[in-house]
Amino acid sequence: MSIEVKGVSKRFGDFVALDDVNVSLPTGQLTALLGPSGGGKSTLLRIIAGLDSADTGTVTIAGTEATHLPPQKRNVGFVFQHYAVFKHMTVAKNVAFGLEIRKRPKAEIAAKVDELLRLVHLSQFAHRLPSQLSGGQRQRMALARALAVEPTVLLLDEPFGALDAKVRKELREWLRRLHDEVHVTTVFVTHDQEEAMEVADEIVVINEGRVEQVGTPDELYDEPANDFVMGFLGDTTVLNGVRLRPHDVHLSRAPELAGAAEGVISRLLRVGFEVRATVLTDDGEEVHVVLTRTHARQLELREGDRVWVTPASGAASVPPMVATAG
Amino acid sequence: MTTAPVAVDSRPARKRRSASSSRRSGTALTPASGLGLGVSMIWFSLLVLIPLSAIVVKASGGGWSTYEAVLTSENTRAALQLTVVSALLITLVNMVMGTIIAWVLVRDRFHGKAILDLVIDIPFAMPTIVAGLVLLSLYGPQSPIGVQVNGTRWSVLLAMAFVTLPFVVRTVQPVLEELDTDVEDAAASLGSSRFTTFRRVVLPALVPAIFAGAALAFARGISEYGALVLISGNLPRKTEVVSVRLFSFLEGGNTEAAAAVATIMLFVALLAIVALDMIQRRVARRG
Amino acid sequence: MASTSSTAVGNGSPVVKWVLRLLVVGYLLMLVIWPTAYVVRHTFADGLTGIQEALADPDVVHALKLTVEVAVISVLINTVFGVGMSLLLVRYTFIGKRALSVLIDLPLSVSPVVVGLALILVYNGRFGWFGPWLEDHGLQVVFARPGMVMATCFVILPLVIREIVPVLEELGDDQEQAARSLGANGWQSFWRVTLPGIKWAVVYGVVLSLARALGEFGAIKVVAGNVGGDTQVATVLVQQKYQNFEQQTAYSVAFMLVFAAVLCLVVVALLRPKEGKER
Repeated sequence: MSIEVKGVSKRFGDFVALDDVNVSLPTGQLTALLGPSGGGKSTLLRIIAGLDSADTGTVTIAGTEATHLPPQKRNVGFVFQHYAVFKHMTVAKNVAFGLEIRKRPKAEIAAKVDELLRLVHLSQFAHRLPSQLSGGQRQRMALARALAVEPTVLLLDEPFGALDAKVRKELREWLRRLHDEVHVTTVFVTHDQEEAMEVADEIVVINEGRVEQVGTPDELYDEPANDFVMGFLGDTTVLNGVRLRPHDVHLSRAPELAGAAEGVISRLLRVGFEVRATVLTDDGEEVHVVLTRTHARQLELREGDRVWVTPASGAASVPPMVATAG
Repeated sequence: MTTAPVAVDSRPARKRRSASSSRRSGTALTPASGLGLGVSMIWFSLLVLIPLSAIVVKASGGGWSTYEAVLTSENTRAALQLTVVSALLITLVNMVMGTIIAWVLVRDRFHGKAILDLVIDIPFAMPTIVAGLVLLSLYGPQSPIGVQVNGTRWSVLLAMAFVTLPFVVRTVQPVLEELDTDVEDAAASLGSSRFTTFRRVVLPALVPAIFAGAALAFARGISEYGALVLISGNLPRKTEVVSVRLFSFLEGGNTEAAAAVATIMLFVALLAIVALDMIQRRVARRG
Repeated sequence: MASTSSTAVGNGSPVVKWVLRLLVVGYLLMLVIWPTAYVVRHTFADGLTGIQEALADPDVVHALKLTVEVAVISVLINTVFGVGMSLLLVRYTFIGKRALSVLIDLPLSVSPVVVGLALILVYNGRFGWFGPWLEDHGLQVVFARPGMVMATCFVILPLVIREIVPVLEELGDDQEQAARSLGANGWQSFWRVTLPGIKWAVVYGVVLSLARALGEFGAIKVVAGNVGGDTQVATVLVQQKYQNFEQQTAYSVAFMLVFAAVLCLVVVALLRPKEGKER
C-alpha cells in the first residue's frame, strides 16, 4: 500500500472536517476522493501532503510513518485548484523550482525541465511568465512542476475545478493517459462524479467527514453501499419503496410481470437520445423512468397513457431512507 | 517517452482586472468635462505649478553663482548631506521593519493586533510639531528612561523613523493580504524550507511594494521639518537638516539662497516620485 | 475548509513567530506608543488643570479656532477639486494626463517649507508675481487666511484623489452608461450613480486630509507668519509655547491635536469594514 491513513480526525473549531477516517490507497493507482463540497475530502488530501495536520490518527506514505513530517520532507507532489503558480518565475523556472531546491546539477535540471515541458505540451512557452498562459496551460505547468521532483505520490486538489467545461473534459482525459504513462500513485479530489468515474481506478466516497464507500467505479455504481452513494453517483427514483436508477425501471404497456405498479404517464420529455417519463402510480408514487428514444418510439408513449412499471432484472437498488452513516 | 496528445487551449487566461487597461484610456472630453478640466487646471496651476516654478525661476535668476554660493557654503552642504544620508538610512530601516510589521499584521494573530494596526497610522495623522514634542518627552532632556538624543544626529534618525513609519507598512500590507498561501504550500511540498520559500517565492512578490513604500518614505524623510525642529536642536553642521536651513534663509530674507536650496530639494523629490511611478507601472504590467 | 494553512511561512516555527512579534511590538512601543502615551501623561499630570489653564489663554483659543477654520475650508475646497480631478483622470482622456497624474503626487514629497516659500514667491504683497496686484484689489494672501488655506490645500492635495482613483477604476463605467441609457444626464448620473459608488472613498479621503490639515505646520508657519492672536495656528503655537518654557500649555494643546488626529483614525478604522460590506 502506498498511502495508509489510519484513524484520522480533524476539527476546525466546532466543525468536524474528518471523523475517524481509514483509507488504504494502493501503489500506482489513480484514486479519486469524491464527495460534496465541504465533505472533508480536500482536508484529507492536505493532511496526506502535510499541509494540514490531523488532530488524531496516522499517515504512512510508502511505508514511511509521515504523520509528523513537514510537507517538504514527504516527497509528495501537490497540484492546487487555483494553480498556485510562482508569478515572477518563467514557466521553465517554475518547473525547475523543486529540483533547484534539491541542488541537482544544472544540466540535469535543464534536461528534466525540457522533458516535462514536452510531456505537458508547453515546450514553446518555456520562457514565458505564467500570466501569459491560459488557465489550462497554467494547470499543466503546475502538474509538470509537481512531477519534476519525482514524487512518491501525486496529489491533486480539484485540479480542474477552476477551468471551463470544455478544457476540463480535455484535461481529465489527458490526465488519465498521462497516468498510464507515468504510473505515479495519484490521488485527486473532485466533487464531480462524472470526472471521478471517467478517470479513476478506484473511488473513495467521502461525506460529512466520513468514508461512505471505497470501490471501483463499477462497484460503486452497481453496488452502492447506501442511499448517499447511490444518490451521489447518479439520478435515482423510488419504486415500490425501493430506490433505484431511472434507467433500471422497466416500463410496459401491459401488466407483464407480477407485482408491477400501475400508473399514468404524467410527463414526457425528450432530451437527445433519451426520453424521460414521469409515471404517477395508483399508489401515489411519482416514478422517474429513462428510456432510449428507440424504445419509447416502439411503445408509442403519450402523456396520459396507462403503463406498468417494475424494477428491471439486475437493477442496482438500495432501500431508501436508510441512515447514511457508514 | 511518448506523450498523449492534448488539445492545446491557447485562449488567453482571464485577466484579473479585465477592463482596467481599456478604462484607463477613457472617453474624449465633453464640453462640460472640458470646463471642469479647465477650472481644475487653473486651481492646480495657481496652487502648485506656478508657485513651484517661481522657485526655480527665482533660483536661476541669480544665475549659476547662487547655486555656487549655496553649495560652497559649508553649512548648507552639511545640511544636505545629513538630510540625504539620514533619509537613506531610515529608508533602509523602513524596508526591513516595515516589511516585518506588515508581515506580522497580516499573518500573525494575537490580541491587540487591531490596535497595532491603528498605531501605524498615528505618525501620518499626528501634527509634525507634536510628533517632535512626543519624541522629546521620552527621548529628551527629561527622559524618564535615561535616553537623551536631543541635539544629536540620533534625533534626526529617530524623528525621520517616526514620520516615515506608515509608508512601507501600508504599501506592503495589501499585497501580502492578496498573496495566495497556496503558493507557499506549493513551494513547501516541492521541498523548499520556510526560509527558502520566503526568499524565493514571497519576497519577489513583495519587492515592488517595498520599493514603492521606500520611495515615499525617502521623499518624506528628506522633506521633514516639523518633527525635527524641536528635537534636533538645529545645530549647524551637526543636526541641521535642509528644511531647517531653508527656513533660516527665509527668516534672514535671503530668498535667492532659499530658492536655490529648494530647487535642489524639488529635484530630489521629483526623482523619488518618478521612481515610484515607474515601479507602479512595472507592477501593473506584470499583473 | 483549509482556510488556515499550517505551512504558510508566517505560521511557521513558534520561535520565529515570537521573535517577529516581539520585534514589532517593541519597535512600535518605543517609537510611537510609549512617547505618545507620555504626552498624555504629561498633559494630565495635574488632572484637568493643564487643559483648563491652556483654554483660559486667549491666544490658545484663537489659535485652535483658526486651525479648525482653515482646516475645514481647505478640506472643502480640496474635496471638490479631488472628486472632479479623479473623475477627469479616470473617465476621460486628454493630452498631458499622465504627466498630470504624476504631478498630483508631487505635494507628497515636497518639504512644507518649500511649499511656504513657493507661495510667498508668487503671492507676497511686496515682490511676489501676483501679490502686489492682488493687494491693490484688496486681497491679501500671504500673512492672511487665503495664504494659510492655500498652503493647507497644497499639502493635502493628493490625499482625496489617491483614495478615489482606485475605487473609480475598480467600479468601471458600466453603471454610468446604464444610467445614461435610462435617460439620466451627466449631472444626474454623477449624483445618483457615481457619487454613491465612491462615497466611502470620499469620506475616507476627507477624514485623512482633515487630520493632515489640522496638523499642518511648516508651510503655514512660513506663509502665515507668527502673530499670536492673529495668524498663529495651533501647531505653531505649540512650538512657540514649548520654546518659551510654557511646557504645560504646549503639552495640553499638543494633546488636543493628538486627540483630534487619533479620533480621525478611529473614524476611518470604523468606516473600513462598513465599506467592505457595502460593496
